[in-house]
Amino acid sequence: MTLTFNRQTLPLRKDFLIAGTCCHLSTNSHDILRTAGRCLPIRKQSDARSFEMNIIVDATLGSTSEHPAHFRGLRHLVFAILPPRSFLTYDLLRRRVYGVLSSPAACDDSFWNSLLIPITLGVLGTNLGVAPLHCACLERNGRGFLVAGASGAGKSTLAAALAQRGFTFISDDWTYVSKEQSTLVAHGLSSPIKLLPDTVRFFPELYQFSPRRTLNGELAYEIGPAHSIGFTVKRIATPQSIFFLERAPTLGCHIVPCRSQYVRDFFEKSAERLPDELTEAKTVRTSIIRSLSAFPSWILRTGENPHRTAEAVDHFLAEASHARV
Amino acid sequence: MQEFNPSNNVEAPDLLRRFIPTPVKAKYRVGGLRMMVQTNDFTLLPALPFDPDHDGAGEQNLAWTLIRDADTHGLLEPPLFLKSGTLTVVLLGTACVVGVDHERRELFGFIGADIDVRAHQEFLVPLLCQMTNEVLVSDPNPRGAIWSKEVANG
Repeated sequence: MTLTFNRQTLPLRKDFLIAGTCCHLSTNSHDILRTAGRCLPIRKQSDARSFEMNIIVDATLGSTSEHPAHFRGLRHLVFAILPPRSFLTYDLLRRRVYGVLSSPAACDDSFWNSLLIPITLGVLGTNLGVAPLHCACLERNGRGFLVAGASGAGKSTLAAALAQRGFTFISDDWTYVSKEQSTLVAHGLSSPIKLLPDTVRFFPELYQFSPRRTLNGELAYEIGPAHSIGFTVKRIATPQSIFFLERAPTLGCHIVPCRSQYVRDFFEKSAERLPDELTEAKTVRTSIIRSLSAFPSWILRTGENPHRTAEAVDHFLAEASHARV
Repeated sequence: MQEFNPSNNVEAPDLLRRFIPTPVKAKYRVGGLRMMVQTNDFTLLPALPFDPDHDGAGEQNLAWTLIRDADTHGLLEPPLFLKSGTLTVVLLGTACVVGVDHERRELFGFIGADIDVRAHQEFLVPLLCQMTNEVLVSDPNPRGAIWSKEVANG
């Protein structure tokens, strides 16, 4: 089967905003425009950073084999197989996406919010001046902060506990950071917050949901913003500090300052390696990480449950705020 | 749970297998076309005429990079071609995906662990040649036609 991408085969067009970048969406399907319209804000002003997303919906894909998510890339091309029965190619140099989606994928908000949009920004973002960073982002009183940490440290769980204490939730796992003039801006998507099954003891509200298998194969509750378990959600914040979360084997919660070199090393080494073709993207990402490393940063070492840890962070930030005043 | 230790000299993750070394290199000459193939598996080198005189200097018309993807299993499935003005991409299930950039004259392919030499030489190499030919026929340079004719004649 051959699918050709051109203006004749993709007659429907609309522009959307994804993390401050403009997505010029072209498609053959009204379902795509409807789903994108539910999942993404419509672009209202011109933006310097933009990319093309060309999507063909093909009903015949329904008869092809189903595969789990699979990603490969060489130089400036990245290939992504996404269930259900969809395939995308990212041309990072030209900032273009070519995709063929099955009919179920075209209409499924969950596919767009959990897979298509975050993966697109994860793959293409650095080339658009938006660095995908492995951290959560929250905000209180207009002051954003990042919560970073190794996989399994409990970023999502702490983010949920903080959000239940009244912090505004931006993101729990990946935050997309861009530089607007000299200010760093953190973007969240409408991706669901992911909580492992054992966190139900801290969040009994989760009993109303069922855990399911996620992209990386683990079982987790994935709770969309629309079903938020009692917290306020925003898409954008201005981060001003960073916590690095570490689990401790003993009770107690200790917050100690960390060096800017630690911040740089953490984000550089947890970010995806980029090929030589993408020098400009590397430079932009390094510049964003260097700016982040100038923020006040702390290592948050905790052996407490997420609610007590959130309480400690809350008190710490309140004291820091008083100290500034 | 793993704690981050910034003093560990750990490379950033290569989730896409972009940085698999491709130490096996061969040069081919078909008609007027000079082509470099690099791969991590010598069995993926195409059975095409070598270019014994090519010392690396001068014009190279096209480059293939073929990765034997040891982590991917499964057999070839019916091809799905995606064509745009600058790219042609072919998906043959997770076992094989190939993309060619017409402007940059680069072809990239991931070939799964279960694709044997015969399937590669008898099915994939002609497919890669066909994709290469599509790059060349859109080029006003007449060498494209020679490549086309010689590959077609085996």
